[in-house]
Amino acid sequence: MGKTFSEKILGLKAGREVQAGDVVTVSPDYILSHDNSAAIIKEFQKLGIKNVKAPQKLVIILDHVVPASSEKYALNHKVIREFVVGQKIPNFFDVPNGICHQVFSENGFALPGKLILGADSHTTSYGAFGAFSAGIGRSEVASLWATDEIWLKVPETIKIEINGSLSPGVYAKDVILKIIGEEGADRANYKAVEFAGETVKSFSLASRLVLTNMAAEMGAKNGYCEPDEKTVQWLENRARNDFSEVVSDPDANYEAVLKYDISSLEPQVACPHTVDNVQSISEVEGTGFHQALIGTCTNGRLEDLELAAEILKGKKVHSQVRVLIIPASREEYIQALKKGIIEIFAEAGCIVLNPGCGPCLGAHQGILAPGEVALSTANRNFRGRMGSRDSEIYLASPATVAASSIEGKIADPRKFV
Amino acid sequence: MEETALSGKTWVLLNQEGKLIEDIDTDQIYHNSFLHITEIQQMGQYALGNLEGWKDFPQKARPGDILITGRNFGAGSSRQQAVDCFISLKVGLILAPSFGAIYFRNAVNSGFPVLKCPELDELVAQRILETENEIKVDLRSGKGINVSKDRPFDVEPMSAVQYDIFKAGSLFMYGKKTSRDNGK
Repeated sequence: MGKTFSEKILGLKAGREVQAGDVVTVSPDYILSHDNSAAIIKEFQKLGIKNVKAPQKLVIILDHVVPASSEKYALNHKVIREFVVGQKIPNFFDVPNGICHQVFSENGFALPGKLILGADSHTTSYGAFGAFSAGIGRSEVASLWATDEIWLKVPETIKIEINGSLSPGVYAKDVILKIIGEEGADRANYKAVEFAGETVKSFSLASRLVLTNMAAEMGAKNGYCEPDEKTVQWLENRARNDFSEVVSDPDANYEAVLKYDISSLEPQVACPHTVDNVQSISEVEGTGFHQALIGTCTNGRLEDLELAAEILKGKKVHSQVRVLIIPASREEYIQALKKGIIEIFAEAGCIVLNPGCGPCLGAHQGILAPGEVALSTANRNFRGRMGSRDSEIYLASPATVAASSIEGKIADPRKFV
Repeated sequence: MEETALSGKTWVLLNQEGKLIEDIDTDQIYHNSFLHITEIQQMGQYALGNLEGWKDFPQKARPGDILITGRNFGAGSSRQQAVDCFISLKVGLILAPSFGAIYFRNAVNSGFPVLKCPELDELVAQRILETENEIKVDLRSGKGINVSKDRPFDVEPMSAVQYDIFKAGSLFMYGKKTSRDNGK
């Protein structure tokens, strides 16, 4: 019997043959943390260890509340900066750079065949490059900083084969929302999810990142797309290290193989308050909202901004809605600027904010009042996530959010593309 | 034999239909407004603060109490405050049919006992398990008993690694112990 990607890579790291269910002790290639590094530092100091064991493996990126919105956040950032200097951590990205998952990828840390652990649930993203990457907690990261080792349970794998070509106005976001809606928010709990099939192969890396980013919303431990020539091309001039691809054997043992034909898929919307509460656009068209958000680690890349700009070009956003645009990183921001996309947003009446997580996790830059509704390109719509617990969040593609911003209510983007 | 059982009084998280609340995500367990807090002692007061009907849980909970909840408890963010807030309140154990993957790991690695009980919905539906019952669960055998009603039930026992970390107190102490044992 062959092995899945996850069995192979964790076996390589553990130095022995493993199969799903085994517990291995491994040393990751990179350890990501963001603003929560402040809390991790506190845990680390409690351990009574003076020095981080492998400082070159740490990647610290400030993104959650940037620049600091209050004295408390400012103090957390200050503590992190001092720690970075004291521990001689070479890979530190301060507040101007953008969302950790985008910055981590652009800077060539996310590579095929690498083991990446991060103190953020959307660390699953780097599976788009063929890495094994999973979110872990604060104590685990503190312990990893100290010992450079951690236990992992080798996950079972669900393979999702996606075939067919998308209709105009339908994107990777709609595909993953459809899958999560069908399978449920806990279908992949503790499991690996491999995205395969012709549709995935046809996707850009930016679109593949949408799938692996949102694998977390099915409960997945990690997501994965098999690396190909597009992956290698994307990594050219970016990769920080040598890498070699690890792929599943053709006769690997899967927990399930799920098949999706997306040829006739319509735009999808996740309704409040769970990501698996998914409807086709026709079911929710006309729903009013107060604030739109185009950005986040799910859909704040150039590809997404271009899509939104095509729809918003020469138009004005509806007077009853506020439209926030947050490029995922400084690099994406600069490219969007050069292409004139930022100008289109500004002309249309959008609020263009600095790269970062913005209001996605409800910390700053557009908090919702009681009774308000947001339409967002983010990955999570939990009750109260963007502010008041009496607010609501709908999730959709950048095209759907852009089209809806013009109409002032949830609208079908196919009319605009 | 070392003691491998935990016992305590239950809080059953029910919705208005009298069923276990499912998909209680990390935002409902520990709201993002308090993410800047880094001291565990201060986190308990916000536990379940965003869950309809349970905002007063921190005032009601007593050390050693056992939380009974619906499937996919702790879905979502990796925020460890969602585990730490219960440690802060000295909650003794959480039982659910399933947990969010990162939540489960966070709990295991904090040495905080969480156990999966696939038959939990059934036990609650048949009123074999209710709020304020005294229950006892053996972490290693998975044998549980509702002492108040003298009714047995089963949970998935702790795996070896989960139990060892629980006994060691934390992931780091466990790691220290394993490196020491391997060095022998």
